[in-house]
Amino acid sequence: MAQRRFNLQAAFATFLIVLNSIYASQLVELGLPFAKGGEPGPAFLPLALCLFIYVAGLRILFEALVCPETEATAEPTPGTVPGLARFGPVAVLVLTALYLVAFPWTGYFISTFCYTLLIALFFNFESSGDLRNAGWKSAVSALAITGFGWLFFVQLFGLFLPVWGG
Amino acid sequence: MLTDLAGGFVVLFQPMTFLFLLGGFLLGLFFGAIPGLTATLAIAILLPFTFGMEVTQALVMVMGIYMAGIYAGSITGITVNIPGAPSGVMTSYEGYAMMQRGEGPRALGLSAFASLVGGLVGAVLLMFLAEPISRVALLFQTPDKFSLVLLAIVTVTIVSTGSLWKASMAMAIGLAISTVGIDPMLPVGRFDFGSYYMIEGITLLPAVIGLFAICELFVQAATPSKLAFGDAPAAHRRLSPRDFVPSGADLKAVGAVTYAKSSIIGVLIGMLPGGGASMASFIAYAEAKRGSRRPEGFGKGSIEGLSASEAANNAMCGGAIVPLLTIGIPGDAVTAIIFGVFLIHGLVPGPGLLANNFDVVAPMFAALVVASLLIFVSVLIFGPLYMRLARINRGILYGVIAMVSVVGVYASTYSMFQMWMALAIGAFAFGFRRFGYPLLPLLMGIILGPYFEEFLRRSLIVSEGSPLIFLTQPFSLLFLVMTAAFVWLLRVRPSRRAPVRRAPSQP
Repeated sequence: MAQRRFNLQAAFATFLIVLNSIYASQLVELGLPFAKGGEPGPAFLPLALCLFIYVAGLRILFEALVCPETEATAEPTPGTVPGLARFGPVAVLVLTALYLVAFPWTGYFISTFCYTLLIALFFNFESSGDLRNAGWKSAVSALAITGFGWLFFVQLFGLFLPVWGG
Repeated sequence: MLTDLAGGFVVLFQPMTFLFLLGGFLLGLFFGAIPGLTATLAIAILLPFTFGMEVTQALVMVMGIYMAGIYAGSITGITVNIPGAPSGVMTSYEGYAMMQRGEGPRALGLSAFASLVGGLVGAVLLMFLAEPISRVALLFQTPDKFSLVLLAIVTVTIVSTGSLWKASMAMAIGLAISTVGIDPMLPVGRFDFGSYYMIEGITLLPAVIGLFAICELFVQAATPSKLAFGDAPAAHRRLSPRDFVPSGADLKAVGAVTYAKSSIIGVLIGMLPGGGASMASFIAYAEAKRGSRRPEGFGKGSIEGLSASEAANNAMCGGAIVPLLTIGIPGDAVTAIIFGVFLIHGLVPGPGLLANNFDVVAPMFAALVVASLLIFVSVLIFGPLYMRLARINRGILYGVIAMVSVVGVYASTYSMFQMWMALAIGAFAFGFRRFGYPLLPLLMGIILGPYFEEFLRRSLIVSEGSPLIFLTQPFSLLFLVMTAAFVWLLRVRPSRRAPVRRAPSQP
């Protein structure tokens, strides 16, 4: 288990270093700092940040590789449902991404009802383990939440939401 | 002047005007408590409606929203670990730890009491010291402002628990995120990767919703329901208003000095452009930790940390009004919108406003005082309701949070790109939490980044590239010395003492 955590810590530090490299790739378009006399220019702070992130990232990576036992800082997520710690966030991520895809096409009502139904179903099923019970509770909740959102955003504050999409 | 102030209270307590204050207060409470909705958004939405109001009623209502909105950021922070506003982050840090110990009512009561004290101190200072204090703030030059922002950034980084390298990395990434978009001083797009969406930059709203609301959805989805809120005893019994009244022992433990110091920090930071409730809260928290006899309790449900943060962010409200009224400079987004309320009614904030239109402004001062008192009244009335946020069916709670967060981003920005950005930031933040990187420095980097860069570059332009300018300006030097002192007291000295303490127990 310690070995696995060590690997993930190092992998995340590497991921941040890669992101920093993508950020750094744009620096060339900003010119050199202090190219025009005393003006530090648009590249000054980003360049300094880039260098610092490399130093910090490599230091964190080094710590994760050399002494993984000191890096046991990952959030403990013990669960009664096997795989919940991994499956749960992925499920919510996928549901939210699908909602964002559907929102402009199907409109507020259909997409929000489906999204909140599935989110509520996930949490209710995890709590009770009873799919039928969780199903009707979630359907009622989703209906109420969708109606509340419409009343709140559109009727009360006059904000625009795409109703039926298209 | 005292007669004019008394006249302000008389006007405020006219039934119609008081109803506007009450309406604004409840609106602010609602917006502040819901993640992703802020007092700024509430006042912005209200702005068009102020056309039809009398100026006094409009200003009184705005003050109610402002005070309640800043306070309410802590409510969901304490009960479900999702601060309704960035200024509630430190409060939720301590308050949620108390909630998990079954001390939710105690945390909510102390939070409301600290907000009451801070709000009153801010309002009183605004009334009596507005002009003299803003004259001092006017003396701050750009290098001084840079050093002040640096103080905030360094302080937030070093007070984070865990690895200092990870906290520094989080801060640097936050600052890097703030550089995306149009350059603050030149008409140049940065890090847009050729996309016109990216030129807009990563705005605060999706960042806050991603970091806190969406990230919290992921965290809760990974957490079994039995562990989600802990087995909080207070959540299982009937609560009365008395449960939310802070005990004498707690008030003594926090201490008058902490309340006073945090409130004054809040007022002073509120007066500075770009200061804001978040910075006030962070610095007051760090100062409370530095001066505490129990600094080891911070981060684990410290009532001193919670009170310092809340007193400072509500004291900030009074402080932020000072430069707006006396020199006509709004210090943050909310005061900028309040500036608009004045203009709509033909009044120009500035030196002449207090002299010529004090009768218009006096009810606004009175509203800040009364709204502070309403904060404490509200926790006595609605406290049990706040606590039920932790007992509510998780399907409903996270269904509502998911809907309001995602749809709230769209309704505020009309941008699908910003919705995707909020989701991406949420996933990124989940990785941060999973691997022990603190989110606080990341958020502060995003919030303070634009000011940090602008003040830095303006200072270096003046000095023709010489960093010595930060040492030759008295206020700047003072802030740098304070930064060094904070680093010494909060990081260097404890790390030097730690091995000595551990030595006897080591084999």
